[in-house]
Amino acid sequence: MILESVQYTEVPGQRDNHAITVYALSTCGFCKRALAFLNDHNFAYRYIYVDQIPLETKNEIKEALKNKFKVNIAFPFAVIDDTKYLVGFIEADWKKELGVN
Amino acid sequence: MNPKTREDTAKFAEMVANKQGWVVNPDTNFTTMLLDGLTTNWNRYGYYLCPCRDSDGSREADAAIICPCKYSFGDIERYGHCYCALYLSKTFAQSGKSPEAIPDRRYEE
Repeated sequence: MILESVQYTEVPGQRDNHAITVYALSTCGFCKRALAFLNDHNFAYRYIYVDQIPLETKNEIKEALKNKFKVNIAFPFAVIDDTKYLVGFIEADWKKELGVN
Repeated sequence: MNPKTREDTAKFAEMVANKQGWVVNPDTNFTTMLLDGLTTNWNRYGYYLCPCRDSDGSREADAAIICPCKYSFGDIERYGHCYCALYLSKTFAQSGKSPEAIPDRRYEE
């Protein structure tokens, strides 16, 4: 499956109680804020900048995510524990979903 | 085509904001990321693709999301800022609030 065969950048962190994968654009301010949020709260996660991979691969990823979660894909798009997702960066939503007080 | 610099893109953004009666986001760190993103997109695609949206592969396919995007006018009216938050309404800027992600209306059509 495409979502497991692409190359992610792994970021280590002390907080590893969630499996977090972030699909992001390297050009996007909200994507950068989302990654900074995960760093600031010491989450372990992996991410991929989908604007830096071939268009066909990116489209396959988007299609796979859309089929999996039945939602239009915008960035940042975070998959949490393979079952939930966060789209766009709204700090309160990310805090709530990831259990940050 | 000569590559654009961040300074070129900053001038472009100021010009757009002045023309539309908006302001460029005063959050310098955030805006610098967006200006760098826009500059990257110009140098990558040949046009100012919105830094927070991904390309569909051609200028024609991306026409609605080239800065200032087609949706920025409605988004600024409704939310006080555009999708990537480069441009703010004067009222929003004066409020001191920080922009947060808004729905991509590209998908509402």
